[in-house]
Amino acid sequence: MPRIAILSSTVADQIAAGEVVERPASVVKELVENALDAGATSIEIEVEDGGRGVIRVIDDGSGMESDDAQLALARHATSKIREASDLVGVSSYGFRGEALPAIASVSRLEVLTSIRDGEGAVVRSNGGVQEPLTPASRRRGTTVSVAQLFFNTPARRKFLRSARSEWRAIADTVVTMSLTRRDVRFRVTSDGREALQLPPAATLRDRVAAIWGADYADRFVDVDGVAGPIHVRGLAERPADAGTASRRVFVVVNGRPIRDLGIARAVETAYRSTLPHGVRPSFILELVVPVDEVDVNVHPAKAEVRFTNRWGTERAVEQVVQRALGTSDATPWIGKAWAPGVASVASPEIHLPPMPSPAPMAEGLFADASPAPVATGTVPEPMAEEPVAVPDLVQLRRTYMMYEHDEGVILIDQHSAHERVLYERFMGDMARGSSPSQRLLFAETIHLDPQDADAFESAADVFSRLGYEIESFGGHTLLVHAVPTPHPRFDAIRCLRESLAALSGGRSASTHARHEHLAATVACKAAVKAGDLLSRPEMEALFRALARCTLAAHDVHGRSTIVRVSWDELERRFGRR
Amino acid sequence: MRLTISREKLQEALVAVSAAVPSKTTLPVLGNLLLETTDRGVRISGTDLDISVSMEVAADVETGGGITVPARKLSEIVRELPPSPVKLSAMGEQRIVLECGKSKFKLLGLPKDEFPAFPSVDFKSAWRVKSGQLQQLISHTAFAVSVEESRPILNGVLWEVREDTLRMVATNGHRLAKMEQPFEGGTKADFIIPPKALEQVRKLFPADEELEIARGENHLAFRSPFVSVYTRLIEGPYPPYDQVIPRDNDRLATIDKAELLSALKRMSVVASDQTHRVKLSFNSAILKFSVQTPDLGEGQDEIPVRYEGDPMDIGFNGVYLLEILRYMPTEQIRFTLKHPERAATIEPEAWADSGKYMCLVMPLRLVD
Repeated sequence: MPRIAILSSTVADQIAAGEVVERPASVVKELVENALDAGATSIEIEVEDGGRGVIRVIDDGSGMESDDAQLALARHATSKIREASDLVGVSSYGFRGEALPAIASVSRLEVLTSIRDGEGAVVRSNGGVQEPLTPASRRRGTTVSVAQLFFNTPARRKFLRSARSEWRAIADTVVTMSLTRRDVRFRVTSDGREALQLPPAATLRDRVAAIWGADYADRFVDVDGVAGPIHVRGLAERPADAGTASRRVFVVVNGRPIRDLGIARAVETAYRSTLPHGVRPSFILELVVPVDEVDVNVHPAKAEVRFTNRWGTERAVEQVVQRALGTSDATPWIGKAWAPGVASVASPEIHLPPMPSPAPMAEGLFADASPAPVATGTVPEPMAEEPVAVPDLVQLRRTYMMYEHDEGVILIDQHSAHERVLYERFMGDMARGSSPSQRLLFAETIHLDPQDADAFESAADVFSRLGYEIESFGGHTLLVHAVPTPHPRFDAIRCLRESLAALSGGRSASTHARHEHLAATVACKAAVKAGDLLSRPEMEALFRALARCTLAAHDVHGRSTIVRVSWDELERRFGRR
Repeated sequence: MRLTISREKLQEALVAVSAAVPSKTTLPVLGNLLLETTDRGVRISGTDLDISVSMEVAADVETGGGITVPARKLSEIVRELPPSPVKLSAMGEQRIVLECGKSKFKLLGLPKDEFPAFPSVDFKSAWRVKSGQLQQLISHTAFAVSVEESRPILNGVLWEVREDTLRMVATNGHRLAKMEQPFEGGTKADFIIPPKALEQVRKLFPADEELEIARGENHLAFRSPFVSVYTRLIEGPYPPYDQVIPRDNDRLATIDKAELLSALKRMSVVASDQTHRVKLSFNSAILKFSVQTPDLGEGQDEIPVRYEGDPMDIGFNGVYLLEILRYMPTEQIRFTLKHPERAATIEPEAWADSGKYMCLVMPLRLVD
């Protein structure tokens, strides 16, 4: 019968290492976090053999006294908190005092540190066994070298991937850190070759440009807004660009990079109806949340946090991102901005028509369906209730409306634009519960095939919310008594038939998704088509309605409604530049 | 072809006929007018294949013949000519010279054979109708036709000829207008006629003229000694409009038309651009109006009314009501109702005319 015994601290450290030190990338993360906590402004990371050989992190931080350096390798030794109460609102990356001992227990570790230029000390540890401290000389700062990771835990070592894939994980880690701390210089070398060289950047966009190139940085719209107590800022991909390159998602909460499916979902919700099905946007978002509303001490690697008000947080993200996408800046440019990537901090907000904030929708049964209700306490948009100035519109090819703007020539797709207008109106109607409906003198009889009848069956309630009054007349025959009248050209019966045909087959699970799908389908069928000649008053009315939309720049399929050709672009084509 | 004609006569004919010339067409000859000499002078015709109009005017014909001329150019030239006789002479099949005082023009035309032939209609079995009576019927009903393309039947006006009545009916499925005029010696026949053709009939024939009307295979022709209008008929059964006209509306209101009109116009200002929804509340002595439009605002109004029946609220498209009122020939109108979801009718009150007129409008569902 085995006896219970307390584990030796070395074994305990090795077990802890199982949680904290999963692979070389986690070593890099812990060491870089330590460097950042030490106030480093420049961090160099040297990696050999994908981190399986040597990982070295060199910083210019505060360094440690030689006594502290010895203690740092002991478990639960930390300079960052003293009492449990300090855990609330802890702002340093590390605080558990676990990382360094854990790493030390599974590698050959060397810490070279100095608090003043010149005089320093080296502490070495071999699989958790500390060697005596020796004096050494170094500039202020700390160098931590981790060699032969997992040399004493063959089981772990077996699970390491190829040098290539471990290196990729390390690079990802550094990129994540570098997006969070743009004030710090990062330099990464792999087997002696420089892989990343990131100077301090003033804005997130600059840092993104330094990592992936200016073209990539240009794909994003600035997000910056407050909803309730939460400040959300960062970059979100223009809907038109989404899905055309590999997807990148970064979420930072109070300066800490985390993984959070809920927030990612909230962002995707904000893109709702601007993206084709299956396309998911890239984004980089930083949330500033009151410290008492978030618990970071949930996960050993601190990759997850817990929000006290998760719903509120996700709503805040959704609203702010949706507002950002609604600005005309989210409109795809045919010509790129003249100086991409180096946009000044206060990039001028270009309101093409003044886009007023959406009128608050009635909170009804489907409150979450109403497009972007403005939460109380949000920053009011400057153009709020101003009437929309309608420019001189010209119709081209019976398909587009065109006008001139300070920034260039602006083209609006009449079908897409109308579709967007109707979609938002239908969603509003559904949220309110009913819409005006004109009774018919002669009830229309419609015969459906089985699929369409099924589609009607499952969407009957929603059609009635849209203003249709339909009696199911046995089998597959419908009798239509009343129809909505969203616009004078509306052909209600044809729209009903086409919508049912489009809806048959596909079925969405949630009520909300169903409503959205139906509103989008009906809007598409009800909208004026390319080829319809629009009179001037019709164009003006459409323009005004579009300007009042929440997401004017995109139609319900995620295509653009508005395209701008900048003067720059035109001038270059004409050889004036 | 060689003839001389007064500028006024030519101008008159061109204005009348040009209305039938389509503004855009894929068949170039349709943009032209056909000029043909007759015993009495010259006949000018235009067509868009659905509707054909021709007018004969007096002229001194030197040599007979025919040619087609670009309609727009000829009209523009004649409009600006001095008031002197105009000499028209064809040079070959495709060219025409126009001289008036010192002005001289050469226009390129097309051979007259390319101009589509008028539908063949036999006037032997024609019946006669006073133009004024037709005008009355047309102007009170044609406004109500549908402009949607999905139900072509409703794009036309139904003309029912009976032994003792002429009746026209038009509807777009939301509202309906129906007028009857007493008539003698008719034989039962139904036609569905495009309103554009009826508009020509209304405009081109003077009220006191008697028209000959005859039916071809798929056409209807209206003819006076000098003018004729041919139109294609819309085929198919007209919906059973008589069944949907309510007979049991038991709530009656008598309203001053001018007051109703002006109240509705005020309400329309704040009514929705899309639905034009206006709510009417009928009470024993007062008719109340109210409009509520999300995102815009609201309005209320009231006017006196003589009303019999239980109080009732009902919603309408204000545009439909305004349109109907515009054609109501009397100062007082009679409104009949049954239920907020059933048809309402509007009729002239104490109309001196021998005819009967009725408009019907379907309600809009109220949302409160």
